[in-house]
Amino acid sequence: MLPTLILLPLIGAVAVALVPRHRSELLFPLGLAVSIPPLVAALWVAANFTVGDPSFQFVTDHTFSESLGVGWRLGIDGISLWLVVLTALLFPLALAASTAITDRTKSYLVAMLILETGLLGVFLALDLLLFFAFFEIVLVPMYLLIGIWGSENRRYASLKFVLFTGAGSVFLLGGIIVLALFTGDLVDQLSSFDIRMMLDVELSSTAQLWLFLAFGIAFAIKVPIVPFHTWLPDAHTEAPTAASVILAGVLLKMGGYGFLRFNMTLFPEATVDLARVLAVLGVIAIVYGAVVAIVQPDIKRLVAYSSVSHMGFVILGLFALTSQGLTGGVFVMISHGLVTGALFLLVGMLYDRRHTRLIDDYGGIATVMPIYAGFFLYMAFASIGLPGLSGFVGELAVLVGSYLTLPVLAIIAASGVILAAVYMLWGYERVFTGPITNSANESLHDLGLREIAIIVPLILIVLAIGIYPRPILDRIQPSVDLILERIEATTSYEVPEYGSTIDEGAG
Amino acid sequence: MNNAALLPIAPEVILLAGALIVILLLVLLERPYREGGIVALAALAAAAIASVLQWQALEDGADNLYFSAQGVPVPRLPMVVMDHYSAFAGVVIFIVAMLGLAVAWRLVLTLGARGAEFLTLVLLAVAGLHMMTASANMIMLFIGLETASIALYVLAGFTRERANADEAAVKYFLLGSLASVIFVYGAALLFAATGSTAFYGAGSMRQFLAENIVAEPAILLLAMGLVIVGMSFKVTAAPFHQWAPDVYQGAPSGIVGLMAAGVKIAGFAALGRILFSALPSQIDDWAPALAIIAGVSMIIGTVLAAVQDDVKRILAYSGVAHAGYILMAFLAGSDGIGSMWFYVTTYALTVIAVFAVVAVVSGSRSGSSPLADWSGLSSRAPVLAWAMLIMLLALAGIPFTTGFVAKIGVFTAATDAGYLWLMILALMTTIVGLYVYFRLAAVMFLEDPAGVEDVVVPPTTALVLTVAAVTTVLLGLLPWPLLDLAREALPL
Repeated sequence: MLPTLILLPLIGAVAVALVPRHRSELLFPLGLAVSIPPLVAALWVAANFTVGDPSFQFVTDHTFSESLGVGWRLGIDGISLWLVVLTALLFPLALAASTAITDRTKSYLVAMLILETGLLGVFLALDLLLFFAFFEIVLVPMYLLIGIWGSENRRYASLKFVLFTGAGSVFLLGGIIVLALFTGDLVDQLSSFDIRMMLDVELSSTAQLWLFLAFGIAFAIKVPIVPFHTWLPDAHTEAPTAASVILAGVLLKMGGYGFLRFNMTLFPEATVDLARVLAVLGVIAIVYGAVVAIVQPDIKRLVAYSSVSHMGFVILGLFALTSQGLTGGVFVMISHGLVTGALFLLVGMLYDRRHTRLIDDYGGIATVMPIYAGFFLYMAFASIGLPGLSGFVGELAVLVGSYLTLPVLAIIAASGVILAAVYMLWGYERVFTGPITNSANESLHDLGLREIAIIVPLILIVLAIGIYPRPILDRIQPSVDLILERIEATTSYEVPEYGSTIDEGAG
Repeated sequence: MNNAALLPIAPEVILLAGALIVILLLVLLERPYREGGIVALAALAAAAIASVLQWQALEDGADNLYFSAQGVPVPRLPMVVMDHYSAFAGVVIFIVAMLGLAVAWRLVLTLGARGAEFLTLVLLAVAGLHMMTASANMIMLFIGLETASIALYVLAGFTRERANADEAAVKYFLLGSLASVIFVYGAALLFAATGSTAFYGAGSMRQFLAENIVAEPAILLLAMGLVIVGMSFKVTAAPFHQWAPDVYQGAPSGIVGLMAAGVKIAGFAALGRILFSALPSQIDDWAPALAIIAGVSMIIGTVLAAVQDDVKRILAYSGVAHAGYILMAFLAGSDGIGSMWFYVTTYALTVIAVFAVVAVVSGSRSGSSPLADWSGLSSRAPVLAWAMLIMLLALAGIPFTTGFVAKIGVFTAATDAGYLWLMILALMTTIVGLYVYFRLAAVMFLEDPAGVEDVVVPPTTALVLTVAAVTTVLLGLLPWPLLDLAREALPL
């Protein structure tokens, strides 16, 4: 099933590419249609996922080269399951919101669908080389999306995006090669890239440290952890709406996922040694991102910096090294993907009407766009972490989890929630409330049926998993507990005991 | 001598016969370029088939592996060797030459009667290039080197009405001759140190070095150094690369791809032939030197490529960087040969395709190709721009292209051989490489095509680009068939 899931968007891309030039009106409907099967496939996987089994499921294992140890190895566990579903869900929505793209539409759709293939591959690959291939290929469609269909400063932003994230991934590649050579010695081959086999390699603590850093820098740039975040506001701001949605919704998760799947799993000793450093960086990102978000004059940049803040929660949760923290970290990734994805979609809808993102150009538009204002406020509350919505569950779990091991950091991090209320509500106030100050805004029309249909699913999901997160958490937790068990087994670290699961009383 | 004994030199014989026929056509026909082109392509195809037959014969356990004036089966002083290494080199060189000739087709048509000379020179050059890889003797290798080089000097200046083409040819000739002299001096000193010029057989360099400990290795070290320097010139490894940007920029675009790709394949294969066949016991001496040359090449190549404003110069410097990456494969000794072959083969294909695009964008006769020619190419010629993008991604080493597989191969080889520092350096330069190639992509895709006229893609070029793009992606997805062949293509 998993190979099908990865290949479906690619097949869709080929189908879109084959649309003849004189039938270009078919492009959008077809592009949207071919993004549905991956979603169906992802939901099928989620429905057939065995709850409570922490190991990889639906495994495909086909070795390409015996001596190099490279293979088409795919599998899914509780960590990747919801990220895959999130990816498959956001693409149809992002494509549906792309009707403003009129220039080189076919290339745009092909780039989007190849991007989806790459992202699904990242979350499903069990072969490090395959993982890296997907991880890196994502750069190309994203570069084109930002560079060709972005706004004024797109050339700068796209090149910066490629260079920053590309620079990170070469270190990852170096680490992968070294680790694969170590693993190869184990099985008498030149190299092996099977991550399940890599668990058996005994690495010295020095080797672990260097490999942790090589892998970590790539993921830190992707997350992004302050001070590696400077590419993000530019890329998010200049990217077209759909690309922003995917960037924030899925692309950043590649970093958090990488930390969890590779750094924490493969280098437990280095993880324990460096956990505090990373947790501190996470807290810095929470506070810094939030403070900077407050003063942004540009709505998209505001949301972009809020991403930095939320992803800080992910890092704090992961490196708290508690069951609650890890589970919460993964949950924040899912929730942030939904909520920030929705916020970028909403900002894009406004931009399509007025072609400006500056907060000062708006004011009081709730009177002309009441539905839009309502949706925006709802997502703003979800982003802040209002109880009952998805943002609350993850951040609470992260705070509880990190309080067990890093109480001071947890307390500082809690201020991020308050700061989130400041930047979100103050931003909302300046854009939506009061009388209309700019006469150009008087003729704004409210959301159409298509736009409502794009946002409503996200609203419902955010509410559903905010009230009843158990189905999500039940699948995440066994897999993250497995990582913690491995850390406990190979180092002197002991995970503090506090309850066994997070209560769904969050709602 | 029976027929089987001629098989080792069959490709060369075929190519020389082809070259003679092309010259004869010049006498027989008034405008012989079209027929000449067909003869040249047929000769290259026949040579490629001959190489395949060689491979087949080796798989069947052929015993006539050498060609020598002194008879068969194992002569005392072999001149030409037939092994998987030379057969593989033959297939690659001849196919690349066919593609290169297809790219040059429009150039050939515009040359009129001189087109026949052009084709003859190409065939001679290709014969020389393959001879370099199939030689079993330093002298034979040098003859191949000179045959190829002299033909290429003339080709570089073929559009002689343009002054900078003359300049390119003269520069290429002077520096190339200097490199040849250095190489031949190294070969002479190798003879002084080992008492032989042969790679194989009784009393060969390899046997001498395996059986004797060289008490005073100074001459041997100097000899190896000179040979490596001479070859570094040919494969544009830094700091012996200075001729490349000027020559690439001056020579007609239609033929630069063949020049660059052909010399790279043959140069690396010949270097491998010398190091793996004649000097395998001295790996601890030559590997560190190669590692340093590789490191310098990567740095100089990528950094200087990043500041060029002419696409041909960018590609020349990128070639320097790639020479550095390819040299990494040598550090692993014979374990790295498969990686070397994969890199060289796929890189050659990319180079042919890239220069094919250059020839379309800036004209096949012209020399320079300023970045301004390339602005907004994706609007003017979308297919051309996408093909070029695939090639640039391959050069940058992005996954699902051959460039990625090739890089993984050489990086792994060097790391496994203990050159971790070189791999880290290579990774660093890869970042700069991303800038180089994505900058060019940005010019093609993100700039407006202001004031630049439309381009027309000749059908032969379109064919070459299709072949190259499809191969680059397919072998990027599933490199295993070529990797398996490359790993078998070992020298005796």
